[in-house]
Amino acid sequence: MAKVSVLNVAVLENPSPFHSPFRFEISFECSEALSDDLEWKIIYVGSAESEEFDQILDSVLVGPVPAGRHMFVFQADAPNPSLIPETDAVGVTVVLITCTYHGQEFIRVGYYVNNEYPNPELRENPPPKPDFSQLQRNILASKPRVTRFHINWDNNSDRLEATENQDPNPDYGLPLSCTPIKSLGLPSCISGLLPENSMDCI
Amino acid sequence: MAIQSKPIFSVDIHPDGTKFATGGQGQDSGKVVIWNMSPVLQEDDEKDENIPKMLCQMDNHLACVNCVRWSNSGMYLASGGDDKLIMVWKRATYIGPSTVFGSSGKLANVEQWRCVSILRNHSGDVMDVAWSPHDAWLASCSVDNTVVIWNAVKFPEILATLRGHSGLVKGLTWDPVGKYIASQADDRSLKVWRTLDWQLETSITKPFDECGGTTHVLRLSWSPDGHYLVSAHAMNNSGPTAQIIEREGWKTNMDFVGHRKAVTVVKFNPKIFKKKQKNGSSTKPSCPYCCCAVGSKDRSLSVWLTCLKRPLVVIHELFDKSIMDISWTLNGLGILVCSMDGSVAFLDFSQDELGDPLSEEEKSRIHQSTYGKSLAIMTEAQLSTAVIENPEMLKYQRRQQQQQLDQKNATARETSSASSVTGVVNGESLEDIRKNLLKKQVETRTADGRRRITPLCIAQLDTGYSFVHQAFCDLVWGDLFFFFCQDFSTAFFNSIPLSSSLAGTMLSSPSSQQLLPLDSSTPSFGASKPCTEPVAATGARPTGESVTKDSMNATSTPAALSPSMLTTPSKIEPMKAFDSRFTERSKATPGAPSLTNVIPTAVERLKDQNLVKELRPRDLLESSSDSDEKVHLVKPSSLSKRKLELEVETVEKKKKGRPRKDSRLLPMSLSVQVSSDPSMYIEVENEVTAIGGIRLSRLKCNREGKEWETVLTSRVLTAAGSCDVVCVACEKRMLSVFSTCGRRLLPPILLPSPISTLHCTGPYVMALTAAATLSVWDVHRQVVVVKEESLHSILSGSDMTVSQILLTQHGIPVMNLSDGKAYCFNPSLSTWNLVSDKQDSLAQCADFRNSLPSQDAMLCSGPLAIIQGRTSNSGRQAARLFSVPHVVQQETTLAYLENQVAAALTLQSSHEYRHWLLLYARYLVNEGFEYRLREICKDLLGPVHCSTGSQWESTVVGLRKRELLKELLPVIGQNLRFQRLFTECQEQLDILRDK
Repeated sequence: MAKVSVLNVAVLENPSPFHSPFRFEISFECSEALSDDLEWKIIYVGSAESEEFDQILDSVLVGPVPAGRHMFVFQADAPNPSLIPETDAVGVTVVLITCTYHGQEFIRVGYYVNNEYPNPELRENPPPKPDFSQLQRNILASKPRVTRFHINWDNNSDRLEATENQDPNPDYGLPLSCTPIKSLGLPSCISGLLPENSMDCI
Repeated sequence: MAIQSKPIFSVDIHPDGTKFATGGQGQDSGKVVIWNMSPVLQEDDEKDENIPKMLCQMDNHLACVNCVRWSNSGMYLASGGDDKLIMVWKRATYIGPSTVFGSSGKLANVEQWRCVSILRNHSGDVMDVAWSPHDAWLASCSVDNTVVIWNAVKFPEILATLRGHSGLVKGLTWDPVGKYIASQADDRSLKVWRTLDWQLETSITKPFDECGGTTHVLRLSWSPDGHYLVSAHAMNNSGPTAQIIEREGWKTNMDFVGHRKAVTVVKFNPKIFKKKQKNGSSTKPSCPYCCCAVGSKDRSLSVWLTCLKRPLVVIHELFDKSIMDISWTLNGLGILVCSMDGSVAFLDFSQDELGDPLSEEEKSRIHQSTYGKSLAIMTEAQLSTAVIENPEMLKYQRRQQQQQLDQKNATARETSSASSVTGVVNGESLEDIRKNLLKKQVETRTADGRRRITPLCIAQLDTGYSFVHQAFCDLVWGDLFFFFCQDFSTAFFNSIPLSSSLAGTMLSSPSSQQLLPLDSSTPSFGASKPCTEPVAATGARPTGESVTKDSMNATSTPAALSPSMLTTPSKIEPMKAFDSRFTERSKATPGAPSLTNVIPTAVERLKDQNLVKELRPRDLLESSSDSDEKVHLVKPSSLSKRKLELEVETVEKKKKGRPRKDSRLLPMSLSVQVSSDPSMYIEVENEVTAIGGIRLSRLKCNREGKEWETVLTSRVLTAAGSCDVVCVACEKRMLSVFSTCGRRLLPPILLPSPISTLHCTGPYVMALTAAATLSVWDVHRQVVVVKEESLHSILSGSDMTVSQILLTQHGIPVMNLSDGKAYCFNPSLSTWNLVSDKQDSLAQCADFRNSLPSQDAMLCSGPLAIIQGRTSNSGRQAARLFSVPHVVQQETTLAYLENQVAAALTLQSSHEYRHWLLLYARYLVNEGFEYRLREICKDLLGPVHCSTGSQWESTVVGLRKRELLKELLPVIGQNLRFQRLFTECQEQLDILRDK
């Protein structure tokens, strides 16, 4: 069974300017003390078109983890704008939080992120080259998409066996290449919340 | 009722009938779901959208769940699956998310069930699990051909692994009286095992000869009266049957015939029935009978009564696929059946169809008459049949229900608010923590430069098995009694009270002045090698220096010592130290305990308190007597003869062990810290060369920073103190007593023989002399409590020694002997009373777990607990007694509890007296012993109308008897059988109150 289950992820300081760091307050529960650290990552999907533009914003080790409920704040710097295709700078994209144990990913939390100009003028007439300093990032915190994977929580001894329990598809879950927007199954309600121009992106 | 398209392998109804669990295949894991029962029972509830249908789902099993079973108490749910694991679930009530993170609101878990234990042992899929009656054991069987018996009181302990099957074991059932467990396997055999020794009782193969391993499960069942065991898949004349096996001689003469395919599951109705009496028909009493449901691969279900030759009802084609499991409601009128096709069906019967169920009482009477014992504990089901005779009782019962309701509501509220404020950590609300979490959280860099965050723990897991030690730990270290002695010319260390002081500080009473134990056996410090050697080295160096030099060095020595002393124990956690002490003590092996763990920690502790200067290894000294006088205590018979020579002998002995300086026969100085009061310590410096060559000894006492000093004319051998008095024993058999401010309270007392052990608790001073006599005085009231009482009567054996001495807060001395017995002296009777015996078979046999109000209630602290230690294995021993006739068990339990009550009374330990009295009363109530219960009540109540001639005391060990009775009343009220007694007491208490 999964030794760690994520209880909640709170998105802090949302919405915020594009350049301000991401902050997630993650609470999780551990049913048995873990011998090793958990590794958490924040991945920013630069473009829905290609995995190439994914940026790992940060990765941290979390530990020691005794049995019980724990929480921590995971802070990561904003994505590097130069790595984002200009056409994808404004609009909807995805940020992923993943956690691995012994190199095996067991949970992936995805959030839709909408980058837009709060200034109505800029919104009407966006500059040809995106002005990141003017962009505001809005994470759709109320709709996390959670995917869980079964992994081997025990020590290496029966790791071989664990692979049986895992999804045979090595690229399980949300393949980063895949347009998360598709795989996340964008709920219809979202479109209502999004500004018109973001629809282009979908 | 279709639930899901994935197979459901198991179903079980909760004992309270409000919910049921299913187990089966989930999306890509095993799945356990807890469902609400009421929508199944009532159509209105089904339609009502406010009533949840699903209460909780757990997809923690990695692979298909083959079996789910509620414990008889309903507290736990056990599930076993293809992932080789058994998980034990408990409802978490404290906090919890109301939804699974990331799932939509519809899938909200209404109840939170948490996995409290994972049982790993099987090397193959777990096929069936079963709780024993009374929930003492959990059995599981697997395709690895074994059956494992788990200790349900102490998961994940394994009590036995039953080997013998040569095929996949697919079903288990316990005998209703707990004497046997039966298992059925693919190896074409059904085996019955004894719970007494976990050995095979019988193996039945004949009816299974023709069977092939074609069924997924083989769920067999034992009838509630214990007479019959019915197997799953058996064959008779090449037709599938369910074989009936009689308990008498394991005969296999009958079977249930009719199914067209293999029988997968048999389940007996938990009730025993008797014929419904019809008006006008003959009233001749009919034999009670049982009811059994049989499910098969042919997708049909049959229900049989053991009094009928044909099935009561057969339902064909109930499902699309094989029936996998059956569960009856506790009232015996409803049945849930689940199938491989992913659906569960509910059937209900009327009493006209099945008959009148026997009450639990009648059922237990049948057990008792047939097997000589019963599992009868008053259950709520039984209570509901009794008539409430008086309004008070009714009120009480209602109040109780209300309380339960309130509790439920409170929990509900707690859960609902959980998402916003989940709790308080260290007095800080979670909200506050969250605000500062980023600032507060500890972030480090690993060797390879990666960020590493230490998460903040916001809640401990409620594991269901409480770990109370931790709580004790603080106390232990808080009150650590520290006494460090050394004889420097021999560099031989003696430490006095360490082993017992820990026991003493286990007292959780806040006053912590209940008793100060002292260990007369003085374990040799030399046994604890690594950490003490440095001390020995430094301690042995100086011998004849002047006092001033001594004290100068004293401050530096500990500092020099501490590294070497602290490195060894740096890894030792207080907990472990505590544990090792604990086992040590319970084994009662005086003389050579390894003090390695404790002392360094004590040093550490001392250091923390900036008391380092008290730790003067060089100044500390042997506490007089021990090694010498102890020898005499060992052989008290020879003592009287040698009494006169004793003083001389002591000196001579010392000479032998100390070839260097004869003038230094006696210790230089001595320091004692008083455990009850960490800020109090006593220091003695012998032979301070004072004016004019007169040698004096100085006694210093520091109490909360206030210091006083006094001088004595002779050398001090030993000192002791409490919060009320300080006393010192000197050469020439003198004993001096001082007040806490250093005022001499009495002229020196002349002891009959040299001192062996001196001890103070409160105003009481206890002196144990080398002649094995014991005296206790109350210094404040200036009276003798125990007058030169000889220990000869208790030290009767040849090699008996006193391993531990305690003096309770009430001045009652207790001697723990090396043979595990403990005696206390009863001053009012002038007798030695046996209060504890490690070999006491009663303690091991008594089973009163059902009378414990809660799990941690076992831990009542006080002198009695210290003397007896805490026997954790009693429960297990008791569980073994399952096979002992119930009457015998009752008798031993009663005798044990009565012993405990009496011992607590003699020790005047009011706290423990109350604890054991309530426990005893609860046991009497549960087991229905009216006379004894009545006697207790009568004594507690006393005469209602004042009569001058009454001998009745209104208090017992400082407790008001009538208050005790008030506490007892709710206990009595739990059993409706005692409602008259309840009413009587209640009324009389009311009369008294009105007066």
